[in-house]
Amino acid sequence: MNNKISFRLLGYGALVLVLFLVPAFGFGPYALHLFITMAMNVILASSLRFIFLTGQMSLAHGAMMTIGAYTAALLVLRFSFSSWLALLFAGIPGAILALIAGFPFSRLKGMYFAMVTIFLAQMVTLIGAQWRGLTGGAVGIFNIPGPDPIEIPGILKVDFSSKVDFYYLVLVITLISLLILRAIERSRVGLTLRGIQQSNSMAESIGIDTTSYKVLAFAIGCFFPGLTGGFYCQYVSAIAPDTFAFLFTIYVLVYMVVGGAGKFMGPVLGASILTILPEIARPLREFVPFLFAGILMLVIFFFPDGMVGLWRRLRVMAIGLMGKRVSHA
Amino acid sequence: MLEIEGLTKQFGGLSAVTALDLTIRAGDIVGLIGPNGAGKTTVFNLITGFLRPTGGRVTFEGRVITGKGPHDIAARGLVRTFQVINICPELTVLENIVLSCHLRPRVGFFETVLGTPSGRRKDKAILDRSHAILEFVGLQNMVGLTAGRLAHGHKRILGIAVALAADPKLLMLDEPLSGMNAQEVNETMALIRRLREKGLTVLLIEHNMRATMILCQRIAVLNFGRKIAEGSPEEIKGNNEVIQAYLGTDGYAA
Amino acid sequence: MSGSALAQSIINGLASGGIYILVALGLTLVLSIMGIVQMSHGEIYMFGAYGVYFLFASLGLNFVLAMIISTLVVGGFGIVLERFCFRPFRAEPDRAMIIAIGLILVLQNIALVVAGGTPRSYVSPFAGILHFGGVSLSLERLTIVIIGSGLLVALYLFIRMTKTGQAMLSISQDREGAALQGIDINRISAIAMFLGCGLAAIAGSLVGGLFGITPTMGGFALMKGIAVIILGGLGSIPGAVVGGLIIGLIDGVMPVLTTAHIAGATGFGVIILILLFRPQGIWGHE
Repeated sequence: MNNKISFRLLGYGALVLVLFLVPAFGFGPYALHLFITMAMNVILASSLRFIFLTGQMSLAHGAMMTIGAYTAALLVLRFSFSSWLALLFAGIPGAILALIAGFPFSRLKGMYFAMVTIFLAQMVTLIGAQWRGLTGGAVGIFNIPGPDPIEIPGILKVDFSSKVDFYYLVLVITLISLLILRAIERSRVGLTLRGIQQSNSMAESIGIDTTSYKVLAFAIGCFFPGLTGGFYCQYVSAIAPDTFAFLFTIYVLVYMVVGGAGKFMGPVLGASILTILPEIARPLREFVPFLFAGILMLVIFFFPDGMVGLWRRLRVMAIGLMGKRVSHA
Repeated sequence: MLEIEGLTKQFGGLSAVTALDLTIRAGDIVGLIGPNGAGKTTVFNLITGFLRPTGGRVTFEGRVITGKGPHDIAARGLVRTFQVINICPELTVLENIVLSCHLRPRVGFFETVLGTPSGRRKDKAILDRSHAILEFVGLQNMVGLTAGRLAHGHKRILGIAVALAADPKLLMLDEPLSGMNAQEVNETMALIRRLREKGLTVLLIEHNMRATMILCQRIAVLNFGRKIAEGSPEEIKGNNEVIQAYLGTDGYAA
Repeated sequence: MSGSALAQSIINGLASGGIYILVALGLTLVLSIMGIVQMSHGEIYMFGAYGVYFLFASLGLNFVLAMIISTLVVGGFGIVLERFCFRPFRAEPDRAMIIAIGLILVLQNIALVVAGGTPRSYVSPFAGILHFGGVSLSLERLTIVIIGSGLLVALYLFIRMTKTGQAMLSISQDREGAALQGIDINRISAIAMFLGCGLAAIAGSLVGGLFGITPTMGGFALMKGIAVIILGGLGSIPGAVVGGLIIGLIDGVMPVLTTAHIAGATGFGVIILILLFRPQGIWGHE
């Protein structure tokens, strides 16, 4: 068993190393932008799955990202926060909103929960467009400064003038986010969340406050899109209320479902591959969304466990085949 | 230990439970019996907070618990099992128990997420306690099995183990013997007796008359939501109204 | 503020309300009978609008005929969707919801590819102003109110007086019980989907003359439909009617009485209050 664990650790370690070396391969700014988008999508899809652990399907992820982006932008522009503090705090208002809304919402069944989160998201968009004083109205905010330069004399000088700097920043944010989500999921908290999803009644009957746990999962899950939004506004320098509308959230959902909502790496896989897909499928031009929708339908109808499920099935089949070979030998 | 006064539940015009009075003394095994549809599980739901009573009062260890939520009541030591088996089917047997051991010791959020030394100590304590409980109920050989795949009888026992892990003072078992073969019934009856020896109080709903008569010190009989009799097993056996109630429906022989 | 402006805004509100009710009714029918949130309901509404545009504005058919054909075709499409996309997942509503979400992408892009992204519009034969006792009313909006009311009455009679309608009512109240009574859930689901999509299509066709038709217009309809259902109650048909009227009137009348900001805030405020204190809606039973 110990061998399996260190093998895995080695594998992930190698992967992380490769990720850090990516810019060395001489990718141009467009490719880097793609990787940065991929990283953001990975955080979004993974945090969506975290909320889904308790059976709650949140469709407010885009709105949480919007809130995070505006928070970071306003903290820097209006309150002269350093960009790093702004980034740190970006996820908090969304999480607090989730905390407050979660209590009435979490009493509702899965589908209805999804419905009310759609409404919540729409509310955020409309408030963002109307409250000109705070948010700049429908036009949004622009000229948001990039991250403050990092300077460690003699070792490091990063002024975020090139995409490579942003790539490393988002890579670090993504890895930390994934580590946090993974740690929580493997802890007792994660066990409790899974238990609640499998049998709400059992959990209640042994004294677990299921509603509070569901709200906690919702709030934690909504922190990360906010964080991502904070990064986004510093990367792109602008934010508008409808940048991350319902359609955006749907795409995040697709990443999660196609990758496989059952395993931690599912959304990571789904987000990575589906972010690159439109690029590879460029020749299809206006039919790219069909490809997306087609893949989603294929997965839901025939491979509900997503890519990770498929991977597992292939492995099991391969082992089965090899086993048969051995027994015949 | 548990005092129920005038407990009533109305659904629209229909009264599922009417003016139930029941007292349960610490250390007893009390049976709640009655024909199908008499309202026994409803009573359980009312006591444990899964349903809101329309009238009456429930007091547990001197504190009023009427109208409180299920997890609140369970945390005070009143733990129930379900007629339809409620365990987490995709967790392993061990994980089900580990999950249930959340009240003592209480593990903090950061302790468990960060894996602090105190957290790990508590995790070890919980693991030890879980193994002990599984041994106590006889499931120690199924520790790593997925709970949903267990045979029906073992699932029921797992349900009891889960309830046990939640540190109950009063354990409410809803048809713990249902669906079991004769050997399993005897083993589970022995288990319930061992629970009493450990100091637990048990309130039990059962259709298996033989088991009920042997296990319980006192029995209350429900019919159409009302208590029609209460007393020792002998008194109940000879009670005409009770016999009528049963003959009128399925006619379970004693 | 003049009586004329007030009267206009009330008619506007009622017309908006009418559209919201039609959309929400379709959504709620499918929800309470098939047990799923049909997320692509807005796209069905959009297809209804494009259908009328194609038949009326491009082909030159009579407007009413175009509406009828468009509605029937879209309703039929709904039956196909029920059979192949939703029926296999009747036992897994969450999965069905994801399929419906996938349909959003599919349907929106079909419209985009076939009709292009530029907004289309036409002039409805009901366009025009009606002068009535010193008050000027939009004839088109008045027509929407009349047609909407007519449909509501028809739906009410259908549910009250036909066996199918009664079966639908029983299923919406207790699905398992209804199945035990021998009600053919497959048939009733297909009919519910036909009616639901048909109502959305009619709403879309009525709106086509007022606003531009684009492939993404469905999002607005879905949002309003959801708001109405949240307010009026999950699974409740009368709730959808009352909820739609309330929200329609708020949208139509309040901007005239106060500023647009306060009107928007009221709309939200009402629903937020409902969500906080009675999340299942006024008439809901979940």
